[in-house]
Order: sequence, then C-alpha cells, then structure tokens
Amino acid sequence: MPLTAPLRILTEDQIQAIHQAALGLLQRTGIVVKEARARRYFRQAGASVDESSGRVRLPPDVVEAALKLAPDSFVVHARVPDRSVEVSYRRMHVEPMIGRLNILDHLTHQRRRTSLQDVANLVRVADALEHYHLLHSGAIMPSIEGVPLHAAHAHGYLASVSNTGKVVKGSPRGRAIAEDCIRMAAVVAGGEDALRQRPNIFTTVNPVTPLQHDEGQTEGLIEYASFGLPIDVTSEPQAGATSPVTLAGLLAQQTADVISGITLAQLVRPGTPVWYGTCGAIMDMKVGRIALGAVEAGLINAASAQIAAFYGIPCRGTGSTTDSKALDMQAGYEKAITLFMAALGGINCLFYPGTMESALTISLESLVVDHELCGMAYRALRGIQVNADTLAAPLIEAVGPGGNFLGERHTLKFLRQEQFLPTLSNRQTREDWAERTGSATTWDQAHTEVERILATHTPPPLDPQVQTELERIVREVEARGAVARALA
Amino acid sequence: MAEHEAIIERMRDSILEADDDEAVAAAEAALAAGMDPLAALEAGFSEPIRELGEAFNRLEIFLPQLVLSARTMQAGLKVLERALTTAAREAARKGVVVIGTVEGDIHDIGKTIVVAMLRSAGYEVHDLGTDVPLPQFINVAEQTHADIIGMSALLSTTMLRQRDLLELLQLKGIRDKYFVIVGGAPATQAWADSIGANAFARDAHEAVLCLNARARNVTSRA
Ligand code: B12
Repeated sequence: MPLTAPLRILTEDQIQAIHQAALGLLQRTGIVVKEARARRYFRQAGASVDESSGRVRLPPDVVEAALKLAPDSFVVHARVPDRSVEVSYRRMHVEPMIGRLNILDHLTHQRRRTSLQDVANLVRVADALEHYHLLHSGAIMPSIEGVPLHAAHAHGYLASVSNTGKVVKGSPRGRAIAEDCIRMAAVVAGGEDALRQRPNIFTTVNPVTPLQHDEGQTEGLIEYASFGLPIDVTSEPQAGATSPVTLAGLLAQQTADVISGITLAQLVRPGTPVWYGTCGAIMDMKVGRIALGAVEAGLINAASAQIAAFYGIPCRGTGSTTDSKALDMQAGYEKAITLFMAALGGINCLFYPGTMESALTISLESLVVDHELCGMAYRALRGIQVNADTLAAPLIEAVGPGGNFLGERHTLKFLRQEQFLPTLSNRQTREDWAERTGSATTWDQAHTEVERILATHTPPPLDPQVQTELERIVREVEARGAVARALA
Repeated sequence: MAEHEAIIERMRDSILEADDDEAVAAAEAALAAGMDPLAALEAGFSEPIRELGEAFNRLEIFLPQLVLSARTMQAGLKVLERALTTAAREAARKGVVVIGTVEGDIHDIGKTIVVAMLRSAGYEVHDLGTDVPLPQFINVAEQTHADIIGMSALLSTTMLRQRDLLELLQLKGIRDKYFVIVGGAPATQAWADSIGANAFARDAHEAVLCLNARARNVTSRA
C-alpha cells in the first residue's frame, strides 16, 4: 500500500530555495572530484573542470537534466523472490545495520570488535524479522575481526548472503573491492546478464561533505552505475562541524553533495537507480561528538525526504539512532523520536536500526527492539481509515449508551488491522509481569527473542554450486593479497 | 604598571572574545610598552586559553568558542614571537607538534579538536589536514624542528599507516627524535604498544595530559 507522509517540515517555497541554493553552490563553488574518469564524465556533459585542483563546476541544466533521468521506483531482487523490494518514493523499507566496528556482546554485555560469526548472527536475526528488507552487510566493513584485511569484503559478503534470502549490500570502497562484490552478486544472480536485468545488490556512496567526492568511493560509484545497480548517494553533514550550524544551510550543502553524485551516476549510465541519501546530524558542541540521536536529525530526515520527493527520487535516511551506550531510556526515546520523524516525514529507505553509541556499535538485542519500533512506525503510517464500516455508527447505536464492544463481531473483524500487536512491550499487571516474566526488562525480552531466533531460524540455504563458487572467489581474493604482499 | 595590567587585560579579553584584530593590537601595545614578551604571552594569552580548554573539558563552553579562541591566540602569538629571543622562544613552547589524518583517511573532526586543545594547552601545532602522505609528516617535522608527531586514523584500514610511519622513521634512523602519539576510533593502547608508538590518547583532553606529562619528563631530565 502506498504511504503518504503526514509530517511536513518544509513549504514548497522553502524546498525551492534549498534546491536553488544547491544549484548555485554547484555552479559557483563547484565540487572537488578526485577521480579522473568522473571528471571526464562531468567535462563531457558540459561542466567546467580544473584538472589541477579537481574542481568541477556544474551548470544547473546539466544537473537538472540528470535528475530527470533517475527513476522514481525500481526493484532490488532478493535471491528468495518474495523478499524482493520495490523501492519507490511512496513506500518505506528498512535497512537494518549489520557491519559495525564494534558489537555489544549479547552474552557478556561487553563491547568488543565484530567478528565474522557476529556478521552471520546479525544477518540471520535480520532475516527472521519481517520489517527488515534491504540488509546492510559484512561486505561494507573495512575490517572484520579475525579476517585478513584485504579480503574482509569478500568474507563479509559471503557470511551475509549465505545467511539470508533478503537483499544484501555491497561495498563501493575502490574499484577492486567493488568489482569483487559485483562479481559475487553475479554468481548469486546466475551470471552478469542476469545481474544487470535483476539487480540483487546495492551500495552506498558517501560524498565527503562539504562538496567533495573522494577517489575510492567514486570508483565504486562508477562500477555499480555501469552495471545499473542501485546506489544511495548519502551525505553525512554534522551541523556546526562539517556544515553550517543552520539546518537550512546543512540541507543546501547536503543537496549539492548528493545531486552532484546522482548526476555522475546518470552520466555513467542514464536511468541508474538511486536514492537521495542523508546521514545528516548535528555535532554536540559541548562534548565535540556527533549526535545521531538528536531531534535535529529527525528534522533533517523529514526535510530531506521532502527534497527527494521534489526530485521524484526515493530518499534514504536514518532512524532508530541513539548516542546512548546502553539500551536504556535515552536509547528508547532517541530511537523513537528519530525513527518516527523519519518515517512520518517520508523516508523510503530507513537506515541504522540495530545501532547504539552514535552508530559505533551494533547489538543483536537492539536489532530486535528496533524491529518492534519499525512495526509501530508502519502502523502509524497506515493512519486512520474513515468510512462507513470504520465509523461504525450502526454498531455504536446497537451497543447503546453504557454498553461495551468486547462481544461484538466488528471488534474481532477489525482488531488486527486497527491495532499493532507488540511482541516486546509488557502491558500486564505488575503482579503478572513479576510472576510470569520474572520482571523482565526490554533488554531481557529482546535477549530472549535473540536466543530464540538463533536457536530456531534457518535461513534459506544457497544453492550448493553457488556456495562453492563464492567460497572459491573468497579464496582467490585472499590469495591476491598474499601475492601483493610477496611482491611488495 | 597599571598600564601593563590594562594591556594584559586587553589581551585576555581578546582571547575570551576570539577577537583576532584586538589580539594583534594588544600584543603590539605590549611590545610598545616595553613589556617582557614572555611574561605577556603567559599572562595575556596562555592563561586564558588554558582556562577555556579546561572549561570545555568540564562541558561548560562550546567547542567553536575554543577553536576560535585558539585561532585568535595564533594571531597574537605571531606578534609576540618576533620579539622573543631564541632562548625565550624555547622556554615558551612546551613542544612543537606536527599532526594530521593519515593517507587514505579523510576524517577531520577528531583531529581538529585535538589541534584546538593542544593549542589551548600551549603547544605549537602544525596541522597538515587529512589524507596526509607519510613522507609529509616527516618533512614538515624536520622543517619545523618538531618534537612530537601526532597521527589520526578513523578507519581500521588506515590505522595501519600509523605503523608504517613508525617503520619509516626507524628506516631513516630518526625514530628517537620524535615522540609519536596516535589516536582515532579504532586505535587502542594495545595497538599503540604493538607498533611501538610512544603514546595513545582516547580523546583530546587525554592527549593534552599525556603530552604535558612528557613535557615534564623532558624538562626534569634536561
Ligand atoms: C562523520 C563520519 C564520516 C564523515 C567524515 C567527515 C569529516 N569531514 O570528517 C564521512 C561521511 C566523510 C565519512 C566517510 C567514511 N567513513 Co566515517 N564516520 C564518521 C563518524 C559518524 C563520526 C566521526 C567523527 O567525526 N567523530 C567525532 C570525533 C570528535 O571523534 P573521533 O574522530 O573519534 O576523535 C576523537 C578521538 O578519537 C581522539 N583522536 C582523534 N584523532 C586523534 C589523533 C591523535 C594524535 C590523538 C592523540 C587523538 C585523536 O580525539 C578526538 C577528540 O576527542 C564515525 C562514527 C562515529 N560515531 O565515530 C564514522 C566512521 C569512522 N566511518 C567509518 C567508515 C567505514 C567510513 C567510510 C569508509 C564509509 C564508506 N561508505 O565507505 C568512509 C571513508 C572515507 C575515507 N576515505 O576516510 C567507520 C570506520 C569503521 C572501521 N572499521 O574502520 C566509522 C567508525 C563508522 C562505523 N562504520 O562504525 N565518515
């Protein structure tokens, strides 16, 4: 069902003003593009390019023409067909976090480095949870504990794709890494042609805000775009630190970062599916650290969704973020506020569930808690249906003053569509809560659910031939590193 | 004397208000009045910037205040430096730091905060920016007669460049000339130990404490 976003932060005039400011920045200040092929694409399209500084100044018509080429909807195909995702600026899908440097160990409660086994567990849990659709993955991690550095992406991709039937993300970090991920995705898809026709992998490219596109990720952008694979171009401004402290200034700068990246994707291959992406937040100026759980992050997300909708492009944003180190009250309210502002604001791909500690740390329990929040967000997005059946005037009349509705068929009939059934929230009496759950906290409940999923959930296995071929590629990538070291 | 006190007061205010022009003017006034540049520097610039650094660490002021004031101090310092004798200049500075984010890494913010805090603590800091090739750390360190090299790395991949720089220093036979301090999200004390760095600091405040401890050691040995 298409969703309408009820939360409007910007007026049409304000969106126009931000768009014009972004075009102005791209034309006058320009962007620094560190990758030579990308500069060539921009030059051929009519941009003015200074090779020595890498500065590219983009005429507004080049950008606007490119934005028109980006589709407003597209499908990312999962290896299990009914898990495929139809991305559109009228729907919301969720991208839970998988690959983070640290994990909060679910047995010891201690923070430690994320290992390959953790990646497998995280993906398996995300596979079991229905509101998670596009999975971030181990392939994205620059390093995974216990795995040779140069092969982390290959190991990370295999550990992810073999533990879920859902869509799995690839890494853009440099040409070789991008090629490896795409090669592995092609094996899963059944060949390169099949991959082009039915993309089963997507990636994130982060402009280095303000106004820069670095070499490695731009190489990645070109690789993914030339296969027509979906890319979210996501700027990560921190208000006051890497962008103006004013949110309007942040949005203008972010828009310039993002639409210049989208322009490149369209120049490489017209029609490349893209998201307008934001990981915008603020810096907390008293501690000097990024604040991802800030209410301003919610505002940035809702506004970004409006800007993307103005371009007719789906928007990727963040929600369920927190700066808390524990799954405590701070985590609860920050996650709820950021998730709901993003969801009600119209974000189409909602990234970051599962994280804590300003997204430095991932947690299995957090994945489960945030999934519950996502369920509530979907309920909120469905809104309230008003028609003769739901107004139920004859029913109210029949029950009459002072009656109740517990014994009515109408109640049973509409119950499921009207009410979200939480799996973690406890609504029992204090006595029942104490006796039946041992006074379990949210964390305890989530922990039990994690244990249950890990003990019982079996993801759809890979075809044995595909599995063997992917393992061969992983070994090949490992060996390549060994050769490079021997030659060095 | 009252005139001298008034000038020190002007210098202090220029730092607290982050007024670059006023810092330059006040420093010039101090020299014109024949004040001892070293004493003026200490009371007029170093003291208030130290207070700001400590206030930031207590979460009492905002980071941009510290960054701007540290920059103001740089402006005023340039004026006083001209008048400092070489010996006085040596005595004034606690250490010269060359710092940057290593090659392949563009994370800027953490390093910028460390730079501001070190400046506020009285260090002369040469900030090389981000994505800094390893030879550049060494070249600038040699040119500026630095005694400290600081490296920031936020990626577990680029963290390896910290190790490489230490190896490069060894290779050139100049390892002992420098106190090398490393930092950034993936770095740990264990990592610093394993690559033979002199120190690791979790955050900017710890970096100052650590370099101050070193400065005390150096002076007491001298
Ligand atoms: C903002 C950010 C970015 C911005 C950077 C903007 C900028 N101009 O700096 C952008 C979007 C560009 C970016 C890009 C990438 N990022 Co980034 N980024 C972050 C983020 C969210 C915040 C970093 C930050 O500013 N922290 C605030 C400062 C104050 O903290 P700090 O840097 O740790 O610094 C303090 C201490 O560490 C210490 N310190 C720092 N340096 C030094 C130096 C010395 C000498 C000393 C003593 C102390 C010291 O003192 C500082 C002050 O107290 C972190 C996650 C996080 N929550 O930290 C990820 C993070 C660092 N990024 C990460 C990644 C993976 C990337 C990308 C590879 C993403 C990608 N899609 O490919 C690219 C890499 C680009 C590149 N080539 O470097 C990962 C790294 C994981 C890993 N295993 O290595 C992190 C940890 C997020 C994660 N996934 O977990 N990123």
